[in-house]
Amino acid sequence: MLNQKNKLSDIDIRDAFFDELYNLAAKDPNVIFLTADMGAFSLEKFKRDLSSQYINAGVAEQNLVSVAAGLALGGKKVFIYAIAPFITQRCYEQIKIDLACMRLPVTIIGAGAGIVYNSDGITHHATQDIAIMRTLPGMTIFNPADSVTAAAAVHIARNSNGPVYVRIDKGKLPLLYDKKNNFSDGMAILKTGSDLMIIATGTMVHQAFRAADKLAQHSIDTGIIDLYRIKPINEDLFLTAVKKVRRIATLEEHSVIGGIGSAVGEILADRGMALSLKRIGIADKYCSVCGDREWMRKDYGLDIENICKILVNANEGANV
Amino acid sequence: MNVKELRKKSLWVRRQVLEMIVAAKKGHIGGAFSCIDILVVLYYAGILRINAKNPNWLERDRLIISKGHAGVALYAILADLGFFPVSELKNFCRNNSLLGGHPDRRIPGIEADSGSLGHGLGIGAGLALSARLNRAKFMNVVLLGDGECDEGSVWEAAMFAGHHKLNNLVAIVDRNLQCVTDFTEDCLSLEPFADKWKAFNWEVRLADGHSYEELLASLKDFRTRNDSRPLMIIARTIKGKGVSFMEGNLAWHHSVPEGDNLECARRELGKDAKSEE
Repeated sequence: MLNQKNKLSDIDIRDAFFDELYNLAAKDPNVIFLTADMGAFSLEKFKRDLSSQYINAGVAEQNLVSVAAGLALGGKKVFIYAIAPFITQRCYEQIKIDLACMRLPVTIIGAGAGIVYNSDGITHHATQDIAIMRTLPGMTIFNPADSVTAAAAVHIARNSNGPVYVRIDKGKLPLLYDKKNNFSDGMAILKTGSDLMIIATGTMVHQAFRAADKLAQHSIDTGIIDLYRIKPINEDLFLTAVKKVRRIATLEEHSVIGGIGSAVGEILADRGMALSLKRIGIADKYCSVCGDREWMRKDYGLDIENICKILVNANEGANV
Repeated sequence: MNVKELRKKSLWVRRQVLEMIVAAKKGHIGGAFSCIDILVVLYYAGILRINAKNPNWLERDRLIISKGHAGVALYAILADLGFFPVSELKNFCRNNSLLGGHPDRRIPGIEADSGSLGHGLGIGAGLALSARLNRAKFMNVVLLGDGECDEGSVWEAAMFAGHHKLNNLVAIVDRNLQCVTDFTEDCLSLEPFADKWKAFNWEVRLADGHSYEELLASLKDFRTRNDSRPLMIIARTIKGKGVSFMEGNLAWHHSVPEGDNLECARRELGKDAKSEE
């Protein structure tokens, strides 16, 4: 594990995933990649060099999932790809029946976690995907926060016996891990803290680091967990990690309904743990205006200032 | 089996389906009866290569019953062929039963879960593509309902299979002209149905779905067909076929006969059975 102050990755997180998938597919002809007419810079060489393993199935996500299921029934290891809301919500029924019920090893790659596609509008935002996908029995969900985790997710998905959803971000993100990590734990405690533990997923892990720096100025010693595997959650590790803190918060670019805040809350409720939890995510509303990602985070209250304000207020409330 | 034996087998399957549905007090009798002759031809006339002793035989042909509500008909056939004991049929829809109202892969001989319409053709297309990529010789058959073809995903799959020239894929539509509460042409017309499939780059054949001779003729070159396109057989059928008061009657999508109706259904199916013997 690296310190987050380390350098930016020299590769886009999505390209890190696809480069690793290319390496895997080059060695294993049973790996088949299907896209619903969605590209990526790093997919060009896949398409060129491994053309028999690359299929553009057109803008038809429902069929894409069913075809993937058929290929998996025929012994193939299948990866399917489109913009996150279209490859989860648009074809949810097919995912439920053809992949989850049939327990088939198909990996769903959703491009554009959260509000990656900011000004493209609500149609392109993935802010309900975790909620619906995690209710499917047997579904594994990854949300990598750096290029190393993204590349590792390829192999974890390849070796899975059931369906996997990889919710993938965009851009060159700071590196959090070195390549020795095998990511079998499902989460990592990236920073310890005695007052507050923030459980974040995907790109919000980096936001958590910025928040922790600022919270230190308010004498709030903040720890950070990278919940890169949203399902199944490693409950034992989670409980150990939060045992000594007074409060926890979840941070996600996803609706507060059904996301990791809900998942963590469910664990606390089921375990009968009276631990203060603040869920920070996208409120139960649609964005009112468009803008770039930082701008939209502000509109949704996910900017650093507002995150810190919420957490400082929660802390002060607790101290009263 | 010859035509006479196929007819006898169809009657046996219809009787099984009737008794399973009566015992369970539920089941889709109309759409099961409309496709029984098609299934009997596929399973008993030497069309499908399958092995009940080895249900997961890699080279087996795959049949996907995309109109999963008719799974009850396939259960009777699979049991008769030895995929599981015939005694299991009496447990249809009962507590802790293997056999639910819609089939799933836990059941030996069932290739894919179905019940939600519009999935099977895409799965069949994926299987057909996997066979081509693996240079495997098995055939892939998907049985669709005509009401099911209201689903957009059917046409996504039709486009995919046509585009990829999956000529190891055969789809059969049970064209009974009815959906659940209506006639297909009255609520969302499918016609010109054959032309639609042709336009999606399929070879299209028409058959009387209750004529063994016509079904056999449409499947005669099943494995050796000299055409790069997938094959669609539109099998014209009658919903509720075999029981006079059910035939073409909207009331019998998933009603359960009782009293005089049950007696009549048993008589009609039983009487014919005797005449075959």
